[in-house]
Amino acid sequence: MRSVLFVTVLGLVGAALLHIIIVLALPQFTGRDAYTRVLGLLEMDSFFALTSTPGPTGLANDDPYLRTAVCSFSIEDGPARFLASGNVPFWSLAVFDSNSNEVFSMNDHTAVNGKLDLVVATPIQLVELRKSPPEALAQSIMVEMKEQDGYAVLRAMAPVDSFEEQVRNFLAESNCEPFRR
Amino acid sequence: MFRIPFLVALSLAIAFGGGIASAVWALKATVGFGSIAIGPWVAFPEAQTANADPYAKAHRARAGELLYGGAEGLMFSAQVDDKGEKLQASCSYDVAGLTPQARFWTFYAANDDGQPLRPGSDLPSALNSWTVLRSENSNFTIHVSPNAQPDNWLAIRHSGTFRLVLTLLDTPTAGSSGLIDLAMPVITRTGCGDA
Repeated sequence: MRSVLFVTVLGLVGAALLHIIIVLALPQFTGRDAYTRVLGLLEMDSFFALTSTPGPTGLANDDPYLRTAVCSFSIEDGPARFLASGNVPFWSLAVFDSNSNEVFSMNDHTAVNGKLDLVVATPIQLVELRKSPPEALAQSIMVEMKEQDGYAVLRAMAPVDSFEEQVRNFLAESNCEPFRR
Repeated sequence: MFRIPFLVALSLAIAFGGGIASAVWALKATVGFGSIAIGPWVAFPEAQTANADPYAKAHRARAGELLYGGAEGLMFSAQVDDKGEKLQASCSYDVAGLTPQARFWTFYAANDDGQPLRPGSDLPSALNSWTVLRSENSNFTIHVSPNAQPDNWLAIRHSGTFRLVLTLLDTPTAGSSGLIDLAMPVITRTGCGDA
């Protein structure tokens, strides 16, 4: 009887250990985290507008009034630049790294002239950009990102149906591209 | 004669069964620590950051949702009414009051997995700060009900439990931890069934 009690306690200790291991290790191999899903859209370097019903990767416009576009990018070979402008009541952008940690986020009130012009670069690329700033980036917001891969989420708001077309154009004309001088 | 193998098997069964079950349960039950709660409304302002706790990171990796950045907004969700009872799709609720300061807010009902309910294109499935009807003091009352209601009606066509999602966009709430004095709308049950 005592040995049954002993192995039960032993089993519970093992269960606690396994619980901790699972929780800590899970982010590495779920295969359905946001970055994997964005990569699954197979649209590198351009914003992909999501639909209101979940697509093959399970991403959708969850909020009925927010239209979302996502873009996966890599800054291994050079900085990435995000551009968008247009007349929508509200837009916001968030940049995440490949572990889905927020790197930077902004909205139309924190942007210059209400236009999105953002450059994401590694610390080394940023030093070079600051040393000889290209003319095209005079108005850009520069953001440092330590990881090399990530994704950006651009949201625009259509509070009533009549904004639908403006918002669609805003997302369609937005840019997410590698920056080359 | 089979005592030792039996004991080893029992120990392993408890370890693996308990470990896996408790991990799955923990990740389903909560989004992690670091939540802020105002009445029944719960939000996780740090769930998308690198500071999120291991449970929050595991949960967001499993859910695979596009979370809101700090400057974008903050999503509150409520699974219970003000008496602490689960929101039932067969019951009617009044959501009344004001939201914390924000440039916009959107309000909709979702199922237990967080997917928005779609009652049909001819029914009002969501409201926002532009379309909501307000009283003179700018308070609003939203009737969440399976039956048609006057004024602000959020139609529910679902069975079982659901949750209400209120997203504040461009809000100082997201950056502050002193949320305790902020007021969120009150959810009261007004009746159940067809009555």
